[in-house]
Amino acid sequence: MEWIHPGILILLCGLLIPHLRWKKVRLTYFLLLPIAGLTILWLTSSGTFGPIPPWPQALLKWRIQLMGYELLIVKIDKLSMVFAFIYVIAAFCMNLYALRAKNNWEHVAAMVYVGSSIGAIFAGDFFTLFFFLEMMSWCPVFLIWFRGTRKSMGAAIRYALWHHFSGACILAGIVMHFNRTGSLEIVHLPWGWGGNYLGYNLMLLGFIINSATTPFHSWLSDSYSEATPSGSIYMTAYTTKTAIYCLIRTFSGVPLLMWMGAIQAVFALFLAVLENDGRRLCSYHIISQIGYMVAGVGIGTEMAINGAISHALCHIIYNALLYMGAGCVLVVVGTAKFNELGGLYKYMPISFWLYMIGGFSISGFPLFNGFISKVMTIEAAERIHNVPVYFLLEGATVGTFLHTGLKLPWNMWLKGMDEPTPSIRAKLKDSPLNTPISMLLGMSILAFLCIFLGVYPTILYERLPYPVEFVPFTLTRVFSHMQLFIFTFLGFWVLRKLVLGHPTYTLDTDWFARVAGHWFLWFCEKPLMIFANYVDKKLMEIVHLFVWMSRNPTLSLRIKREEMTLKLKSLFANPSHLKERELRLAEKIRNYPGELPKLGLGGALFLILMGLFLYLVLYLISLY
Amino acid sequence: MNRLRSYPKRLFWTLYVLGLSISLILDLWFLYSKKFHYHFQFQYLPEFFALFGLFGCMLLILIAKGMGFFIVKCEDYYEKKLRR
Repeated sequence: MEWIHPGILILLCGLLIPHLRWKKVRLTYFLLLPIAGLTILWLTSSGTFGPIPPWPQALLKWRIQLMGYELLIVKIDKLSMVFAFIYVIAAFCMNLYALRAKNNWEHVAAMVYVGSSIGAIFAGDFFTLFFFLEMMSWCPVFLIWFRGTRKSMGAAIRYALWHHFSGACILAGIVMHFNRTGSLEIVHLPWGWGGNYLGYNLMLLGFIINSATTPFHSWLSDSYSEATPSGSIYMTAYTTKTAIYCLIRTFSGVPLLMWMGAIQAVFALFLAVLENDGRRLCSYHIISQIGYMVAGVGIGTEMAINGAISHALCHIIYNALLYMGAGCVLVVVGTAKFNELGGLYKYMPISFWLYMIGGFSISGFPLFNGFISKVMTIEAAERIHNVPVYFLLEGATVGTFLHTGLKLPWNMWLKGMDEPTPSIRAKLKDSPLNTPISMLLGMSILAFLCIFLGVYPTILYERLPYPVEFVPFTLTRVFSHMQLFIFTFLGFWVLRKLVLGHPTYTLDTDWFARVAGHWFLWFCEKPLMIFANYVDKKLMEIVHLFVWMSRNPTLSLRIKREEMTLKLKSLFANPSHLKERELRLAEKIRNYPGELPKLGLGGALFLILMGLFLYLVLYLISLY
Repeated sequence: MNRLRSYPKRLFWTLYVLGLSISLILDLWFLYSKKFHYHFQFQYLPEFFALFGLFGCMLLILIAKGMGFFIVKCEDYYEKKLRR
């Protein structure tokens, strides 16, 4: 049996969606795409296409020659397989959630996005990886654009700018790596400071921007909160997790990453306290959770890498669920701002409880999937006896529960328990089922996965690349985490008035980029344009002078000479003496070009010979 | 009607206070009977995680509110500031 690339299958078949005329066929087809991908992956992992390991036996024909370079389109191992599995499972739930999206092209962008990220996961060489990463960076731009608001236009362009900058960095790194080693295959790369490592540092910078690591995280909260409700769900999963996958492959064990990740995990939470928009708050939690993964990659021990991978996969599931919960409110009542919401519990209880499952998962409650992956990373930090990193990661657990488990649900659903504000109430039906069923279905599957993985982590652990001898459910861990959460709630309740939403905007690190960009544009439009216009004017004057002279070169030279002498003489002589000559000159200029002088044969030949001589001189000069 | 509506609230608070006190007592009990296996010495302090949770949460909110004096702006900050 032939092996088909699931990513390319989803990508190409996704392009057909808008061309299917009947709505039911179209939507069924849309749902079937991830299932087809899942089937291929399942068959591959069960050994239908050849024994495992070694994986690549059946995949040799996915090696192509392009302009003398050998490209490995597919290279499968345990790491890429487990990522691909979660990608397609999550894609199915997201498709269910997105069924109600009105724009078919949104589905296309989503499927190309999913397909290209699977392509990036399976890529065996840097060039293929770069190709798929670039393709991935375009799809979210459309998912943001389809929202159609003025703000989303700007956000999409800023997203594209960030990702093309990171893409350029990655490409530069790849080229330098190829020049140095002559191989394009994806391998673990060396890292260090100094000129020798410039290419690797550029590549690292590209992956860091793609994975939204502090201080380059602000594109995430800026753009995800402006996308369409269903489009943003896809965005939560793929771009950043693919970047984490790339970091695991290429830069695991870089100490810089450990510190960046640990600081990021807490830093994002400070910004989340001040946030008023539900989806922006969830974005800051993506950033904070990515901190755990980046820290895990940076620690670089087998356990830390396992922790980072499992956290990335669990994160895809619960964060999509959180975003779906916030997206439900946005779809039903048209806003996700805390200062306008509250008291929705009576009208949307199911989405509230499904959201809460995501909230418990991200906080790391025992028996939810965040716990089994988060404690692994924290344990890895403990085992290398790094106290600051431990404190930052454990502290981030507190803050995560504070926001996603308490602040967001309280502000959206519970605050003012009885009734929402009248303007919101007008948009709600008089029943507890305001959320569309398809959305709830998508959320339910993810919620089920959250609990299933949390209760039965072995199914995930045995698919991780390194053997796991880690038992998450020990008395020490379960008890300490539970106590942490109980007292976090106490702290929240004491200060709950401080986390109420206010209609404000919180500045982020992109302030520097945006203000600098603003002044750069101002510089281009004002001083630079004035200078350009001046140069332009002067150049045109010279050109006009030449045109003027060419009409009668001898006379024009005479006129110019006369002008010069008059000017010189006027410095010394009495002006009244020059009056007559000035008048004569003005007369000459008025009559210009006048009658052209006629050259005799000798004169003409002389000019031609002069021209040839000049040509000879130029030729001789160019020889040396 | 009013009593019915507040029933879940009362249930929640009863359970919460119960859980809180049980966790405080159990922590001391487990510590005394040496059931915990931590990596760092400071984790063996009595009620370490309770204090960490409480003060971590409150510090987070208060520090963030302090940061807010500098970075919280009106909703259309960029539209106003970056208008050309």
